[in-house]
Amino acid sequence: MPPEPTIEAVGLVKHYHAGDGGVVRAVKGVSFAVNCGEMVGLLGANGAGKTTTLRMLATLLKPTAGTARVAGCDVRHDPVGVRRQLGYVSATTGVPDRLSPREIFTSFGRLHGMPPADLPGRVERLLDLLDLRRCADRPAGRLSSGQRQRVSLGRALVHDPPALVLDEPTNALDVVGARDLLLLLGELRAAGHAILLSTHRLHEIETRCDRFVIIHDGRVVATGTRADLVAEWIPGRDGELEDAFFAAIGGGGPGASS
Amino acid sequence: MTTPAGGSSSVRAALAIARRDLLEFVRDRRTLVITLLLPMATYPILALSTALGLRTATHEIDARTAPLPVRIGLSGEDAARLAAILERTVESTPRAERDGWPREVTLGGVEADEAQGMLDRGEIDVWIEARPGLVADLGARGTVELPVRTVTATPSAHFVREQFEAFMRSVARDVTQERVRHADLPATLLEPLRLNFPPSADVAPPNHNVFSTIAGGVLVLLTVLTLTGAFYPAIDAIAGEKERGTIETLLIAPCPIDAIVWGKFLGVLAITLATLVANVVSIAATAAVSLKYLPVGIVASLPEGALVAATLATVVAFTGMAALAAAVCLAVTTASKSGKEAQNTLTPVILLVSAVAGTALLPGMHGGPLLAAVPFAGQIVVARTALGTGSTPPATAGEIIAALALSLASSAVVTWLLLKLTASTLADEDVLFRGQDVAASPLHRPAPQPRPTVFQACVPLVAGFAGLWYAQGLVPSDLCLAIPVQQAVAVLLPLALVLWWQRVDLRGTFAWRRPARGGWTAAVLLGAALLGAGLFLTGAAALLAVRSAGISDEARQLSARLVALIQGRPWWMAWTLVAVVPAVCEELLFRGWVLAGLLGRQRNNRQAVGLAVGMQAAAFALFHLLPERMPQTFVLGLVLGTLVVVTRSLLPAIVCHLAHNSVPLGILWLAGDVPDLAAAVEAGSAGAGARLPGWLVAAAAGAVVSGIAMMTLAVAATRRVASERNSGE
Repeated sequence: MPPEPTIEAVGLVKHYHAGDGGVVRAVKGVSFAVNCGEMVGLLGANGAGKTTTLRMLATLLKPTAGTARVAGCDVRHDPVGVRRQLGYVSATTGVPDRLSPREIFTSFGRLHGMPPADLPGRVERLLDLLDLRRCADRPAGRLSSGQRQRVSLGRALVHDPPALVLDEPTNALDVVGARDLLLLLGELRAAGHAILLSTHRLHEIETRCDRFVIIHDGRVVATGTRADLVAEWIPGRDGELEDAFFAAIGGGGPGASS
Repeated sequence: MTTPAGGSSSVRAALAIARRDLLEFVRDRRTLVITLLLPMATYPILALSTALGLRTATHEIDARTAPLPVRIGLSGEDAARLAAILERTVESTPRAERDGWPREVTLGGVEADEAQGMLDRGEIDVWIEARPGLVADLGARGTVELPVRTVTATPSAHFVREQFEAFMRSVARDVTQERVRHADLPATLLEPLRLNFPPSADVAPPNHNVFSTIAGGVLVLLTVLTLTGAFYPAIDAIAGEKERGTIETLLIAPCPIDAIVWGKFLGVLAITLATLVANVVSIAATAAVSLKYLPVGIVASLPEGALVAATLATVVAFTGMAALAAAVCLAVTTASKSGKEAQNTLTPVILLVSAVAGTALLPGMHGGPLLAAVPFAGQIVVARTALGTGSTPPATAGEIIAALALSLASSAVVTWLLLKLTASTLADEDVLFRGQDVAASPLHRPAPQPRPTVFQACVPLVAGFAGLWYAQGLVPSDLCLAIPVQQAVAVLLPLALVLWWQRVDLRGTFAWRRPARGGWTAAVLLGAALLGAGLFLTGAAALLAVRSAGISDEARQLSARLVALIQGRPWWMAWTLVAVVPAVCEELLFRGWVLAGLLGRQRNNRQAVGLAVGMQAAAFALFHLLPERMPQTFVLGLVLGTLVVVTRSLLPAIVCHLAHNSVPLGILWLAGDVPDLAAAVEAGSAGAGARLPGWLVAAAAGAVVSGIAMMTLAVAATRRVASERNSGE
C-alpha cells in the first residue's frame, strides 16, 4: 500500500459571493497530492484559483465542497490539526515590524505550544538555517525584503511542520533573493518536508520542482513532471515548461505558434 | 524533521498572542504617549488652571462683596433730624449685628441743587431728600416714601446699594421699635418666632457642589482617556495586522479563533489598564498637590475618610470599563482593512461613547440601581455614589457594593458579547478577504445583494430612533393620527429608504414564504396566535405583580389614551391602529430586515443566531421607549425572532404579534362600556392592587404551551416531508 500523501486535495470547490449578488466559482473541483520529500509547483495565470486553493489548504477559507488533508488531518473537520502540520507563507504575508526575528520565532513557537525548554534551541537552529544570525535582534521593519521573506519562512517552520504551502514566495524578491530562497526550499525538501508552492515565474522553479500541477479557470488541466508535461502538451518538440504551460491553458504563448 | 509539537491549549495560545502584542504595543510611540504622557500632563494642567481659576474667582467675589465705606448726603428741611435718626441706628447697633452693612457710614448735609453733581463726581454715594414733615411722619403709623439716589456708574455701585439697603433695614427696624414703644405694645410683638438650632448641628459645607462638579468632570475625563488608552492598541491589534499582512499568520495558528480574539483582547486590556492606572495615579498625585491651591471652603468640603474606599471602588468599576473599552474598540475595528480605516470608524464611536458617559452627570442619574448596569455611564454613577457626590443622602456601603457588582457583571456580559461579535467578524471570509476600503465611499450605491449586511441592518434602526426623537413635536396628540405617523416616521420611511438604496432579494430578506407545507400552515399560524395571546396575558400578570415598583406618568397617560381610543372608535379602526399596523410594520423592520442582516449567512451557527435574535429583541424593546414596557417587549421580540428562525417565515411572527396586540382590545370589549375608565387609568386608580384571576393566568400559560407544541409539531412534520422528498430524489 503506497504511503498516504502529506498534502492531498480532493475535489476542492470554492464559491464566493460576488458584490452584485451573484456567485463567483473560483475553484471548480481541484484534486492533487504532494508526497513527503517532494516539491510540487502549482502553476496558473492570475485568477486561475491558485491562491484560493492554497488558502483552503491553509484553513483560511472553508471549501464549498470537496476536502483536503494535510498529514492525515481534514481541513473541514480538523482545521486546528491541519494548522499543526502545516507551514504557510504567502507573498502578502508580512512580519511584525517592531519585533526582531528571534522574538518572532519565539512567539510563534509559543503559539504552537512548543515546550519552553526546546524553544531557544529551535530558534537558534532556524536563525542559522535561514542565515539570519547577524540580524537576529534587529526589528523586522529594518530588514531587507529577502531577509523579511526568510523571517516569514522561519515563522512557518518554527514548529517543524511536515507540510509547507507557499503562495508566490519569490514575488517580492530580486533574482539573488529568489535563488537563495529556492535553494533553501530544496534543502527542506531533502529533509523530508512536502512542499507545495505557486508562482508565475516558471523559469525559477522549472528545474527545482519534482512535479507540477497546472490549474486554469478553477480546474486542474495538467499534472506531472516537467518531462511529462512537455511530452503531453507539446509532443515531438523540445520545448520548455513555459511552452507546455501555455499549451495546457490554451492561451497561446511563446511556443504556441512554433 | 521532528514530530510537530502537540499543539497548544486555547488559554496558552491566547496568552502567547497577548504577550507578543504587548511587546509590539509598548514599542509603539503612540501607545506610550497615550498611556503615560497624556495622563501625566492632562491632570496637572487641568487641576492647576481649575484651582487658580477658582481662587481668582473667589478672591474677586470677596473683594467685590467686602463692606464699603458709604457716604450719605442729606438735603431738605428735615435733613438734620433724619441724620440724627440714622446716626442713632449707627451708634446703637453692635458690630456683630451689622449684617450686610457698609464698613462705615458717613452722614452729611448737602444742597439739593448740588447733590446730583456730587453723586456724579463720586463725592457722595447716596443722596436722600428729606422733605418737610418726613421725620414726623416716621413717628406716625403710615409708610413713608423716602426719595433716594445712589451712584450708578462705579464698579461697586451695585454693592453700595445693597449695603445701604441693609443699613436702612436696620434704621427701619429701630423706627418700628420706637413706634411699638409709643403704642405701649410689648417689644416681643416684633419677634413672634426665634429659631433654635442645637449647637452641634451638622450642616453640609456650602461649597459641596463645587467638589461634585469637579469630581464628575474628572470621572468623564477618566472615561475618555481610558477609551483613548484602548484606541491605538485595538487598531493595531487586528486592523493593523491586516494592513501589515500578519493576520494570516495568526489565523493559521493551531487554536480556535476565539483564542486569537481573547489574546488580542488581553493585550489591549493590559495597555488600557496601564492607561487607567497611570491616570488614577496622576489624578491622586495632582489632587494632593493642588489642594493647597483650592479655596479653603472647597478643601473643607471634601469627604474625609471615605476617600480611599471610594477611590478603590472607582478603580474597580473602571477596571470593568477598561475591559469594555478594549472590547468595543476591537469589535469596531475588526472589520477594517487598514489602520486608517479603523481610525475613521472608531473615532465617531469614541465620541458617541463619551457622550453616553457624560449622561452620568445629568441630574437624577444617581437614582435607580439599574443605572449602574449601563455601559460607560454606570461606572461613573458607581464612582459618584462611592464618592458621595451623586446622591443625597450618601449611599451605604451595601448599596455601593451592590452597584459595583452590578456594574462589573454588566461589563463582563457586554464584553463577552462584543468579543463573540469580534470573533464572528474576524472569521467572516468576506470581511477578511474583501477588496480595498469599501467603507471609504459611503455615497456609492451598493450593488444588489441577497440580504443586508449588519451595518445596513442597523441603518433603519438608527434612522428610526432619530425619527422618533425628531417627530415628537409633530406627532398629533390624537392616537388615531399619532400611531400611523409614528409607524411611518420611525419604521416605514427609514425601511423604504434603505430598501431603495440597498437593493436586496426582498423575498429572502423578509422571509416571505409559507411557514409549513399543506395543512400544517394553519397549525403554525394558530399556534402563533395562541402564543401571542398567552404572552400578552402572562406579561400583564407579571406587570401587575410588580406594579408596586411604580408606573411612570408617561406610561399611565399612554394607557389612558389607548383605552380612550379603543372605547371611543369603531372596533375595526381601533384594531387596525393598535394591532394590525404595528404588527405588520414592526415585523417587517425587526424580524424582516434587521434579523436578516444580523443573521447573515450564519443560520447554522447557534451562538450567532442567538446573538442576532437577542440583539434585534433588545432594539425592539428600546423602540418602545417606556422602561415599563421593555421587559415584556424584549421577551416578545425574542419569541418573534425565534419564530422566524425556526419557521423560516415572517408570517407566524406577524400573526403572533397581531394576537398579542389584539388581546387588550378583546378584554375591553368583553368588559363592556366602563364609564371614565380612561380617566381612572390616567389617575392610576384603575385596577389598583388588581391581580388577574388564577384561571386566566392558567389559560394564558396553557395557550403559550399549546401554541409552542402546535408549531413544533407542524415544523417537524414539514421537515420530515422535506427530508423524505430529498432522499426520494
